[in-house]
Amino acid sequence: MELYMPVVALGIIATGFAVFSIVMSAVVGPKRYNRAKLDSYECGIEPTPQPVGGGRFPVKYYITAMLFIVFDIEIIFLYPWAVAFDNMAVFGLVEMILFILTVFVAYAYVWRRGGLEWD
Amino acid sequence: MSSAAVLAAEFQAPSFEYSLLSPLLVIFGVAITGVLVEAFAPRGSRYLLQAVLAVLGVVGALVATVIVGLNLVSRGGGTAHGSIAAEGAIAVDGPSIFIWGTVLVLSLVSVLLFAERRLEGGVLSFAGQAAALPGTEAEREASTRGLEHTEVFPLMMFAVGGMMLFPASNDLLTMFVALEVLSLPLYLLCGLARRRRLLSQEAALKYFMLGAFSSGFFIYGIALVYGYAGSMNFAAISAAVSGRAGGEGLLLGGIALLAVGMMFKVGAAPFHAWTPDVYQGAPTAVTAFMAACTKVAAFGALLRLFYVAFGGARWDWTPMVWVIAILTMVVGSVLALSQTDVKRMLAYSSIAHAGFLLTGFVGAQQVADVGIGEITSLQAVLFYLVTYGFTTVAAFAVVTVVRDAGGEATHLSRWSGLGKESPVVAGVFAVLLLGMAGIPLTSGFTGKWAVFTTALAGGAWPLVVTAVLFSVVAAFFYVRVIVLMYFSDPVGEGPTVATPSILTTIVIAVGFAATLALGVVPGPVLDLAAAAGEFIR
Amino acid sequence: MPLWWPLLLSSLLFAIGVYGVLVRRNAVLVLMGVELMLNAVNLNLVAFDAYFRDVLHGGQTFALFVIVIAAAEIGLGLAIVLLVFRTHGQIDVDTMRELADREEPAVAER
Repeated sequence: MELYMPVVALGIIATGFAVFSIVMSAVVGPKRYNRAKLDSYECGIEPTPQPVGGGRFPVKYYITAMLFIVFDIEIIFLYPWAVAFDNMAVFGLVEMILFILTVFVAYAYVWRRGGLEWD
Repeated sequence: MSSAAVLAAEFQAPSFEYSLLSPLLVIFGVAITGVLVEAFAPRGSRYLLQAVLAVLGVVGALVATVIVGLNLVSRGGGTAHGSIAAEGAIAVDGPSIFIWGTVLVLSLVSVLLFAERRLEGGVLSFAGQAAALPGTEAEREASTRGLEHTEVFPLMMFAVGGMMLFPASNDLLTMFVALEVLSLPLYLLCGLARRRRLLSQEAALKYFMLGAFSSGFFIYGIALVYGYAGSMNFAAISAAVSGRAGGEGLLLGGIALLAVGMMFKVGAAPFHAWTPDVYQGAPTAVTAFMAACTKVAAFGALLRLFYVAFGGARWDWTPMVWVIAILTMVVGSVLALSQTDVKRMLAYSSIAHAGFLLTGFVGAQQVADVGIGEITSLQAVLFYLVTYGFTTVAAFAVVTVVRDAGGEATHLSRWSGLGKESPVVAGVFAVLLLGMAGIPLTSGFTGKWAVFTTALAGGAWPLVVTAVLFSVVAAFFYVRVIVLMYFSDPVGEGPTVATPSILTTIVIAVGFAATLALGVVPGPVLDLAAAAGEFIR
Repeated sequence: MPLWWPLLLSSLLFAIGVYGVLVRRNAVLVLMGVELMLNAVNLNLVAFDAYFRDVLHGGQTFALFVIVIAAAEIGLGLAIVLLVFRTHGQIDVDTMRELADREEPAVAER
């Protein structure tokens, strides 16, 4: 348990600082409202008007997002190999090459069937 | 000793038995090649390439299975033979080989059904372009250009690979991965019908939702069993169960949750709700494939999981399976009576068959109790699966040829008078239905006989009495369809029987022949099932 | 930390996931419920793995597999949901009643 004490202490300090800042800014800070301040925050750019419910995204986003997630997640299988690659020797290397090849097959399919084209 | 040192001391580079696992490797190789064909072959040549590739792949895997099966080594005395491959992940033993053979032959037949083009006027019975909306310009363009999704062949090959891996898996991780590999392509295939697109997509959505839900329970069960035994491997779990390591709650909860996932896949009540909806909505070729092969694979996995891993806790799970078996037979037989759609009726019939199979499963006549010339309940269930699989594929194949203007005429009222319209088709269907009902001289009878006698010998006589009773109820709705075909007048225009190409004809002929042959001379296949021996541990 | 803390948390998460699947009518939110169930199990697996000090890390490896399969499942599930939305115009699972047992008179009696 002692090992975790610094982490716990850090957590307490962080929480304390956050609470302190919020409370102090509410008490001390001036309260002047204007249009820009009440608008929703969109990373500093002018908020784009949107219909109720947030509007719809083109379905292309979905395809791109799903492809990204699937290929992204596949890489997780490299993680155990990265942990134990020296014990696995040549066998591990061969298996991983085979694995990457199958991922490439999926990539080839997506590429040839136009999954990567935006328009 | 630091953890790194422990790792180095106990870690040995893994090995992989390529020749033992060649049937699996061939099927997955064909599936991946199929994806490449989709990517690089010109559109016009894809159908032929894919169909030939799939047929060759399945035949190749079948040959490999036979070779592997002939070279199995005896293990640990008794009738068990085989070896554990891939670092304890896959058990290649007699029952595995038998199930691989069954799944591959049934898949070979189903590939032919998938490849049928004549019934839809020169295109596959799958959606030309799944993403195109019905009634839009894109849809019309897709159908005039004769577009078709030849991806169905690689998808099917992936499913076949999963079905082979599922009953052969020897640890829970492999079993879960196999479960998903067999399920995910099937979810997609269900939604790809060319006709009645909305129904098909609804079926896919329902199947997917319920399938994902049940696999959630399945892996929770895996986690609990892992927590109990400290290992995913069946041998280690079996040792922990026999040793009663403590923490029975984890074990019982794990068994119950794993059973939920398994019972969902085999379509046993009360986890059967998806079966009729999905069987009705899915393209009929997919339904045939799914009904036959998934059932075979899932029962194989169920048997291995419960006999090998949880065999020591048999008295804990037997009462649960009794209840499920009885409920399944009741639900399947009784609800089938009121169905008006032939695909739904066959779906309920498959639920009833799951109940009969569970009877054999729970009867659990083990090797030690078997006299000379008798078979164990494992072998009886394997034999029943063969008889059920062929009859089912052929029955759904018949459904694809009885058509009207809107495609397949699945409403039972359209089937009245079929005996006059086409005596051959009606006659074949009648024999298949009698086979499902279990009339003597058909495969259904010998299958039921094998399963019920072993269950009786295993001491489950109340279950057998129930099963025989509900076989009679089930026979009633099969006979009702036969009466409808022969002794009713056609309603309106009456049904028409489309002439299929040689492919569907082969499927129906094979199923019909198997139904009769296994009923008259069951000996060779029974011997083969007996030769499969027991699971290796 | 006692083992039952993560187990309790994971069973609660799993229960929330089951509740979400059973109660939600929007197909996408049902999928989120399923996802929650799978991730609850991951917590369970990793907790057991740490508890046993499993040399081969069976639990953690399984968790990796579950993550990948969950991603595949969600990708496929969203594709099906998207297709259903395009053809049906909505994804309310309660309205998917085209396929169901009907209260129709049996054919033989007609």
